[in-house]
Amino acid sequence: MEKHRYLIAADTGGTFTDLVVYDRIGNTTRFGKTLTTYGDLVDGVLDGVSGTGASLADAELIKHGTTQVVNAFIQRQGDRVALVTTSGFRDVLEIARGSRPVPFDLTFRRDAPLVPRDRCLEVDERIDSDGAVLRPLDLDGVRAVARAIRAMEVDAVAVSFLNAYRNPVHEQEAAAILRDMLPGVFVTVGTALTSEWGEYERATTAAANAYVGKRMEAYIDGFIERLDANGFAGSLYMMGSNGGAISVPHALRQPIVLLESGPVGGCIGTAAYARALGFDKVIAFDMGGTTAKCALIENGHFDIHTTYYVGGYEYGFPVRTPVLDIVEVGAGGGSIGWIDAGGSIRLGPRSAGSTPGPICFGRGGEEPTLTDANVVLGRIGADSFLDGKLKLDVEAAREGIRRHLSDPLGLGDVDRVAAGLLDIAVVTMTGAIKEVTIERGRDVRDFALVVFGGGGPLFASLLAREMGISTVIVPPHPGAFSSLGMLLADARFDVSRTHVCPLEAEALEELPRLLRELEGEVLGNISGDLDPGSVRFEHDVEMRYAGQKHAVRTRLPERLNVEEIRQAFEEGYRFRYARDHANAPVEVVMLRVSAVLPMAKPDLPGLVGGTVGSKAANEPQYRIRDVYFSDAQARIPTRIYDRRDLPAGFVMKGPAIVEEYSSTTVLGPGDVLTVGALGELRIDCSQDEVI
Amino acid sequence: MAQLQHKADQGAMAVDRITLEVIRHQLVSIPNQIERNIERTAFSPLIYEYKDYAVGIVDAQGRLVAQSKGSLPIFVANALGTAVREGLAVLGEDGIGDEDIVITNNPAWLGQHLNNVVAYTPLRDNGVLLGFFCVLVHWVDVGGVVPGSCVSPNSRDIWQEGVQFPTVKLIENGARREDVFRIIAANTRFPKLLLGDIDAQLGGCYSGRKEFRAILDRYGAEAVRQAIALMWRNSEAAVAEVLANAPEGVYSAMTELDGDALGGDVRVPVKVTVTIKGGRVTVDFSEIGEKVAGPFNAGRNGGAIAAARIAFKYLLAPNTPVNEGDFARLDVVIPEGKFLSAPADSAIGHSGTTIPSVVDTILHAMAKAFPDRAAAGHHGIYGVHAFSGRLPGTAERYQHLDTVSGGWGATAGADGPGPFRSNGHGDVPDVPVEMQEVFYPFRIEARRLIPDSGGSGRFRGGPGVEKVYHIAWPCQFTAAFDRVHSPPAGLAGGYAGRAAGVEIHRADGSSEAFTKGERDLDAGDRVVVRSGGGGGFAPAWTRPVEDVVADVRLGYVTRETAAAHYGVVIATDMTLDAASTERRRAAIAQEVGRA
Repeated sequence: MEKHRYLIAADTGGTFTDLVVYDRIGNTTRFGKTLTTYGDLVDGVLDGVSGTGASLADAELIKHGTTQVVNAFIQRQGDRVALVTTSGFRDVLEIARGSRPVPFDLTFRRDAPLVPRDRCLEVDERIDSDGAVLRPLDLDGVRAVARAIRAMEVDAVAVSFLNAYRNPVHEQEAAAILRDMLPGVFVTVGTALTSEWGEYERATTAAANAYVGKRMEAYIDGFIERLDANGFAGSLYMMGSNGGAISVPHALRQPIVLLESGPVGGCIGTAAYARALGFDKVIAFDMGGTTAKCALIENGHFDIHTTYYVGGYEYGFPVRTPVLDIVEVGAGGGSIGWIDAGGSIRLGPRSAGSTPGPICFGRGGEEPTLTDANVVLGRIGADSFLDGKLKLDVEAAREGIRRHLSDPLGLGDVDRVAAGLLDIAVVTMTGAIKEVTIERGRDVRDFALVVFGGGGPLFASLLAREMGISTVIVPPHPGAFSSLGMLLADARFDVSRTHVCPLEAEALEELPRLLRELEGEVLGNISGDLDPGSVRFEHDVEMRYAGQKHAVRTRLPERLNVEEIRQAFEEGYRFRYARDHANAPVEVVMLRVSAVLPMAKPDLPGLVGGTVGSKAANEPQYRIRDVYFSDAQARIPTRIYDRRDLPAGFVMKGPAIVEEYSSTTVLGPGDVLTVGALGELRIDCSQDEVI
Repeated sequence: MAQLQHKADQGAMAVDRITLEVIRHQLVSIPNQIERNIERTAFSPLIYEYKDYAVGIVDAQGRLVAQSKGSLPIFVANALGTAVREGLAVLGEDGIGDEDIVITNNPAWLGQHLNNVVAYTPLRDNGVLLGFFCVLVHWVDVGGVVPGSCVSPNSRDIWQEGVQFPTVKLIENGARREDVFRIIAANTRFPKLLLGDIDAQLGGCYSGRKEFRAILDRYGAEAVRQAIALMWRNSEAAVAEVLANAPEGVYSAMTELDGDALGGDVRVPVKVTVTIKGGRVTVDFSEIGEKVAGPFNAGRNGGAIAAARIAFKYLLAPNTPVNEGDFARLDVVIPEGKFLSAPADSAIGHSGTTIPSVVDTILHAMAKAFPDRAAAGHHGIYGVHAFSGRLPGTAERYQHLDTVSGGWGATAGADGPGPFRSNGHGDVPDVPVEMQEVFYPFRIEARRLIPDSGGSGRFRGGPGVEKVYHIAWPCQFTAAFDRVHSPPAGLAGGYAGRAAGVEIHRADGSSEAFTKGERDLDAGDRVVVRSGGGGGFAPAWTRPVEDVVADVRLGYVTRETAAAHYGVVIATDMTLDAASTERRRAAIAQEVGRA
């Protein structure tokens, strides 16, 4: 196929649609930002592309990230679904797992299941825990269930049987009958989505896939139609939660792989940046309007988890799908500060979002947010937000903090209260980062912090100093970094299967066959313009000491013998837990196969070249603004730079502020900034300065 | 709260309020981080899955500063602080060195089964004791007559339930006391599992101390002290405000526990009197049952005080992190020798299992004073059911210990939630059926909601769950169920929920129902375990007709109960018989009016 000029990434978020267009001929990058149009999401993308001046007819590929799937769940605006289970287990969704993550609430209840009880039906069949058929599938029973479902006028049916992870034959037979008898209905099978054990998790996964199947089909088909109408002759790929681009047929079969379609871009970008800059341990930190997210990236790799809680761990339901290991906390620019019943300051999790937004936006917001605190303290410029396109009302923000926080606390110093709100946000966010690192046995001080999103660069120095991190990296275009990361994504597939056996020679004989089977599953999902010949497989196995819960993921060595596998496992175990148990028996719990297929993508210097330091001068201009710094407990006259004015190699000491269209970077006293070769701001936070 | 006020509070040096707020957030986050670490490194499913642990910080007198989110509610009350107070009484402040870690499971102090072992290490600033970092872990086995130590329904004294560690140093001056470790290893059936868990427990103490020290280094002891005082003051103030709006008075409620075979199946009264007066609450247990012969006792701290505090937290301060200030307005009265203040030689293997019922009873008594906050009774029991034996083939020993999830009570605004475990449990997930079938020689043939099990009411109680086990290999089965005679109470005229129970259906066609006991099972036998439903709220015949029709369509309520309790008549084709319904509801209303 002839190479076309443009590579495009489109990230449809809750508020904005971000576009990045890479021009292979000019080796330049253009950015677009449009308001996400709720009437027609595709409009937002097409408007954005034409805004950059690129023509769709000259585009080779479009990678598309969207929050549509997760929004359908959160807003409960999905399709009408029926669930078919093994006899005795129709209540699997409602019984869940008996736990109450909010310990003292007499009224605690989970979000309602996606399928009400009268649309949960049973058929007689039973597979045992070894995969043997205990009771054959009652075919007449399946037909009767199909007739009952026809009367319910559903859009989709989910099938999930007990122990099907050991043997999916009954699920497949039942699905074939249902498809045959229910034309036009989206039929999905639990084990086609996940082969891991846990009957509740597979059932919620199947129900979730069914819940969004038809509407994502309509969305993606509509998208392609509109692209075709605009002369697009390339390929469309969707961004998967696992951090890779996936083909359209794959996305249509398994729309739940799009759950974290948006946030993965930043992690991919961070991994690419870390590799290019030579950092082997980084934390990607993304702060937006409602939440902050962080992920660990080591040697350019991120962890993939297989469980995602839709609606959060406390109230939501699990979906088993490969998803980048991202931890999210409720602290974003729109997070609201308030005083609780006991008279203490609290922050979030409620957010003012984009409507009404922070008080300073002047769009009707009345409660003070983190953004208001930043504006009051002079950290965000009232006249420089979005290049001055949105003037911020500092006085209204100050008044809001006084009325809602300072006065009830009986404190006259509004600056001090605003700074306190930032400090509390820092405690919340560092708590999340520490949990992520501690849980993995890592020392947070060994990592560099890569920050993006509108809020990341604002808080980077505070976070780094709180945790003892010495290096912060602010990549170019931090506000659009997520879509930029999508351009750098390869195609990626992750499949896994529960397989419990002791780590012994006899049990290992089965391993090669099982791995080939999983590879076959991956190859079956490769379509579009991807070349199956270019696939690179990775085989991992999760193992644990018999009796433990937490398994350690281990890359399988070339030769599959007990000694080498055990050695690899214990190395990983020691790394994580700083000890091992030499004589304890080890067992295999899970097999994982990942496949990566390289895709056309820009090289990193080209991606940022021409957009950074475009007006650079050796002695960049600056303005002066009074900015409040907690360390000084006072306002300090501070130099304010425009990022476009800073040349590569430029070095300066904080306090200082660097402004750009989509974000603001704050350097605290003692911080030292260097502008790097890839346009990144590198901040050394290891020095203290006595003011 | 005079007794909680620090000297610093009077303001030797005023630390600015915002700094105190930041310190408060940091103190609360430490136990949550350490909890992750312990879950990650523990060996026993009782810890990583069942979360049978507590992590927290107490002050120099054992008063609770912060406790982790995942800690079981049953420990929230006072287990950590009680352990520390025992240590101070035995060793004195100077007897606990900076690099020591002390353990205890002393029933005379903690009053809970011997598996609950608290480890703690001091937090000092320049030699001045500020508090302790504490980690309680359920030790998987501490000896005694049965595997697991605490599950026998038949133990008669404490010595049948394992070994005691009444304030013993496990780490002294930073060094492991190998002699003590040898004693521990020799007195457990699962030494590898237990020693692995103890490593996790000690690791938690070390890391917690380190995190606390980082805060001290940064802000200084004075600021930390003031932040703690502020937390307590705020928590107390929030409770005081709720109490200020409650009607003063004396409120009481009564539940009966079923008793056990050792006590001649005599029922045990749980009669609780709650007095609200002058902004304080007194929970009086004077009229509850005496110490029982079997293991369903608890000591004063693990029994009466724990139950009162849990109830207090549920009702008056459910949404804030727990600390000592929550309980500053609570007084507990209990004479010696009751089943919740049993002497130290009593059997207390099931010390926790009565607590949910006691908490329910206290909540029931207080419901009249807090109608908007109250809920009807929940299923109310742990419902311990355990399978043990040797696996076919390998003959390896196994034990599977489970508890039930059941319905919770309805409130003035909503149907009862659930199924969840008891109010003594928190974030404790069920082990998946598919996992159980891999590890244990039985199959689970059904796990389903029980129709009509939630108490009828204007708001309906949550439903109970039925599990059917098909035994595939001979094993021993133990059950400890309760509340058959005193099912989960309804509130404001709502019906009670249905009681829990256990049935065995033998392969030979015989069957029996029982609540407490041990049985041998054979291949082909079936065990049916049912949890209770939650109580209903307000009269059932006032529930909107369309809600009852929906309940019947969804299978939560049968047609029979719809007619009998709700006065809603539904034809066999599931359509509403509006005329009969109107007549039936009018008749019920008249009946109620006469009564």
